[in-house]
Amino acid sequence: MPRAGEKNPETDGRLRTWGVRLLAVAFWLAAWQLAAWAVDARIILVGPLEVLARLGELAASGEFWASIATSLGRIGLGFLGGVTSGVALAAVASRLHAVRELLAPLMGALKAVPVASFVILVLLWVSSRDLSVVISWIMALPIVYTNVLEGIAQTDPALLEMAEVFGVRGLDRARLVYLSRVLPYFRAAVSLALGLSWKAGIAAEVIGLPDLTIGEHLYDAKVYLDTPSLFAWTVAIVVVSVVLGAVVSRALDAALSWWEARP
Amino acid sequence: MSGGAFELRSVEKSYGPLRVLSGASARFEPGRAHVITGPSGAGKTTVLRLLAGLERTDAGEVSRPADARLGMTFQEDRLLDNLTATANVRLPHARLRGADLEAFLARERAALAAVGLPVDSRPVRELSGGQRRRVAILRCVLADADALLFDEPLKGMDEKTVEQLMDYVAPLLAGKTVFWVTHDPREKDLLPNSLLWTVRDGRIFPA
Repeated sequence: MPRAGEKNPETDGRLRTWGVRLLAVAFWLAAWQLAAWAVDARIILVGPLEVLARLGELAASGEFWASIATSLGRIGLGFLGGVTSGVALAAVASRLHAVRELLAPLMGALKAVPVASFVILVLLWVSSRDLSVVISWIMALPIVYTNVLEGIAQTDPALLEMAEVFGVRGLDRARLVYLSRVLPYFRAAVSLALGLSWKAGIAAEVIGLPDLTIGEHLYDAKVYLDTPSLFAWTVAIVVVSVVLGAVVSRALDAALSWWEARP
Repeated sequence: MSGGAFELRSVEKSYGPLRVLSGASARFEPGRAHVITGPSGAGKTTVLRLLAGLERTDAGEVSRPADARLGMTFQEDRLLDNLTATANVRLPHARLRGADLEAFLARERAALAAVGLPVDSRPVRELSGGQRRRVAILRCVLADADALLFDEPLKGMDEKTVEQLMDYVAPLLAGKTVFWVTHDPREKDLLPNSLLWTVRDGRIFPA
């Protein structure tokens, strides 16, 4: 530990990293603003200052927050459905070879088919209101399923043998032996699936146009050639995505630390 | 544990072309410690795994008391790396809740301290090899088991640690059927009222 007055190399390194990152962001914002001035056509490109101003106007309205809440709620619901069903199916598939084989082509198709195809297809089956729920579900499911199944498969057979000798079976074995191995895989899957579900859910809203959603506002901005709003909503989507990712990541880390530190 | 003893009857066991046991027979008196020794590769671990039901015989029979609850240490630690020492020791008691859990936790903490292990919230992956070994031994001796099987539990431990560990462990083994595999026949002296067995030439003999 450094003494009073001495520099802490760890803190210094972190500050330097953040400094470099901020400089990089500042560089690209400046380049964006210069490009906007050079193009000098609001329909094609608006600069970050104007986008920020428009974002401020939007954020002052209740509709902005209501739209974010609606999109977040529906996409979050689909995401949670995808995570839950992915974990449950992986647990069943790890026990039953037939289920694993049966699900393999389905999960492969879910990963390979373009989101746009799914959106149009699902729109035939469900209302536009529920479209983003289904699409975010479809995005999360195969990622969580594949990762959790891999985590279960990677569980050390020696540990399973040990659990067998001590008579630790069923849910206790899943909770204590498998969970330890699966958690890092689950964490990686949730981080990846969250971003994909969010983006695909918004894309579904742009096509399905449910009322009072981010997707609807994006579509309106495009129809009315309201480029500042288009950029402002896009910034809002990115900010929500980053905040959501950070919150979920920290929550998972905290849960993991709590789990590991249990007496 | 219901009546009956652990017993090998004319057991044959090979791994591919390697014949490990050929006609091994032994009856292990219940409620006593059985120290099983022999040269490297003689088949001591195979005998232990057969008794634990982790291996099948090629021929012959292994009988165990019906419903015998087992505890075991392996040649490796086989700990859950990202759990604490207490959570690992408590693994065989996964169902404990409330006051029972608190009482067992207190017992675990006392056990850890008695064998010179830190009582803290670190996961066991941060412990040294020797410390992990002691956690695995405590998991075995504190399991609610009728028979305890140890595969070279003291391997690589210094004399002082062995003394400290056995001061705590030996009294807990009293009255239980214990199988203690070791290279060192002198470990018999660590276990009161124990019998010495030797695995040699594919068979097991009382020494």
